[in-house]
Amino acid sequence: MLSKKSTLTLLTVTTVTAALLAGCGNSNNSDTANAGASNASTTNAGSNAASADPTAQQVEFSFYFTGSENVKNLWDTVIPMFEKDHPNIKVKEVYIPSGTGAQPTYDRILAAKQAGKGSGGIDLYEDGLSNVTQGQKDDLWETLDPAKISNLASVDANTMKDVSNLAIPYRSSAVVLAYNSEKVPTPPKTLDELFAWIKSNPERFAYNDPSTGGAGSSFVTTALYDKLSEDAIHNSDPSIEKEWDKGFETLKDLGKYVYGKGIYPKKNQGTLDLLISGEVDMIPAWSDMALEQIGNGQLPDTTKIAQITPGFNGGPTYLMVPKLSDKKDAVNEFLNFVLSPEAQAVVVTKMHGFPGIELSNMPQDIQDSFKGVAEGFRTFNIGDLGNEINKRWQSDVAAQ
Amino acid sequence: MMKKQVKMGILGLLMVIPSFLLLFVTVVIPIAVSFKESLTNKEGGIDLSNYKFLFTDKLMRSNIVFSLEVTVISVVIVLIISYALAAYMRFNKGKLVGWIRNMYMIPMFIPSVIATYGLIQLLGNHGWVARWVLLFGGSGIPRIIFDMKGIIIANLWFNIPFTTMLLGSALAGIPDSVMESAKDVGAGKLRIFTRFIVPLTYKTLLVAVTFVFMGVIGSFTAPFLLGPNAPQMLGVSMEQIFGVFQEKEQASALAFFTFLLCSFMGYFYIRSMIKEEGARS
Repeated sequence: MLSKKSTLTLLTVTTVTAALLAGCGNSNNSDTANAGASNASTTNAGSNAASADPTAQQVEFSFYFTGSENVKNLWDTVIPMFEKDHPNIKVKEVYIPSGTGAQPTYDRILAAKQAGKGSGGIDLYEDGLSNVTQGQKDDLWETLDPAKISNLASVDANTMKDVSNLAIPYRSSAVVLAYNSEKVPTPPKTLDELFAWIKSNPERFAYNDPSTGGAGSSFVTTALYDKLSEDAIHNSDPSIEKEWDKGFETLKDLGKYVYGKGIYPKKNQGTLDLLISGEVDMIPAWSDMALEQIGNGQLPDTTKIAQITPGFNGGPTYLMVPKLSDKKDAVNEFLNFVLSPEAQAVVVTKMHGFPGIELSNMPQDIQDSFKGVAEGFRTFNIGDLGNEINKRWQSDVAAQ
Repeated sequence: MMKKQVKMGILGLLMVIPSFLLLFVTVVIPIAVSFKESLTNKEGGIDLSNYKFLFTDKLMRSNIVFSLEVTVISVVIVLIISYALAAYMRFNKGKLVGWIRNMYMIPMFIPSVIATYGLIQLLGNHGWVARWVLLFGGSGIPRIIFDMKGIIIANLWFNIPFTTMLLGSALAGIPDSVMESAKDVGAGKLRIFTRFIVPLTYKTLLVAVTFVFMGVIGSFTAPFLLGPNAPQMLGVSMEQIFGVFQEKEQASALAFFTFLLCSFMGYFYIRSMIKEEGARS
């Protein structure tokens, strides 16, 4: 029987030791973790390869992607479909949950290049526009060749031109207006009509803090670029910043009329929650999030979505091939499959995304389901200016 | 004799070194790194421009003032409630005391994100409380979340259990005999409280203040989800500057400033500890 005091001492000693061990582990855990991960995946691959035809020359390439759970579900469906048709190609999925390290993946590709070590074992990478342009500056991405990826022809040529053929916009979603159709029989068609609606229905509209989610960010950007020339949305030169003044004036003025007289919820879900609880009647929201939540009943059936003209920002997600990858043939084969109507249908059904290829290539029923929603969104390509917008929004609009 | 002392000294050092190293790697080095980074200006030179920004930018100044306000108010309310709870549990017996004793720790076991969303559901514009008020003929409640009040309420939820536990153990350490003998010589309740109970628990009170202060000023989840868009608490602002605006240097300056605020509290705490140690030997 131990006395209380010695139990306590024992406990303290154990805790200290545990802390120590944890501390020691820390110093080199990144290496071991990496080693562990690659070990695990090689064994996996090995066992799969053994079960497939042993005589065929099998190529395995690694595909790094990041995002929410729905992105993983998408690839978990698409990749087996591909591997079934192409038994000699194996796709090694490396999923990085969002918020835990997309940037390090990019940094790894860059570091591997600078160290002269090829592509760092990353043969295909998925990310947003900012990393496409960043990689363009760092000369990381392979220019994609329509001769090798025949389905590239079905992607909108302008979107490809926006990224200099360095990346494939394989799916996209756009920001739309999600509204309660019981309270709003006819949704606004233009930004001016929307502003007018907000003013005549005080505190029934909300947009989220633009630095915390793309829906609010798109609303702000659309307001800023409202009366500017059409090509301004493809201009990432800081000289355009002074032309934002009028837009910020408008947003500041709107502050009195939005939810809570100037409350901007955090994250894209923040405004959706307000729509669910009925505190507001209209919000800008990502189409895929809104459609999914209408589908599973979180948002009431009366919720509808609509696009305005000119449209809100729509954001494609891109696939990039590192220039120094040595498995480009296999990757091209895969990319070709991703752009096939078959795989694109999964994008639509699994995650309510818009297909990356032009709608006319898709089955009729899918074309119908996107009528009026997948059209009319615009792709803003303003580079680092997005940060400047957020900064100015914080000081001019949030803290007015 | 001397030899034994040397041996003991070495043993003592050996036992301290691991924790010191751990502290060095996880605390001292990061602080030094961020201090250096906070002194780096946009052109890569070294000056105080980032700190100048902290104290001259209107937005940042209001963030700092706001954070201190929230922190001070939270600390005061937490201490009053916790002290009252702990004292009630110490000097009373009965069913109610049993209930409180069993339940007051529950908030510690609920993850902060979940608790925060719970508060939103409870106190939001269309939340539970508002619905009950409407049901009983009221006209809705004032804005609680997306406001300073929301952050303070969340801080109470997060901090009261631990503080009550700390103060409870300090109060339990006061022997009944002390109070009984004071009563015998005719001391009133108030006198016993101010002359005996408070001085005997003063040290723990200081520890509690330090813990609550540090916990609140560095908090992120609750202020991020419950707080207003502007002004922001330092943790939220730091995340925005670092993660969204990607101004590493400014974020470092803000982090270092927060560290200074905390070490200011820590100084008083350590000083009183050293005093006590000195008095003992």
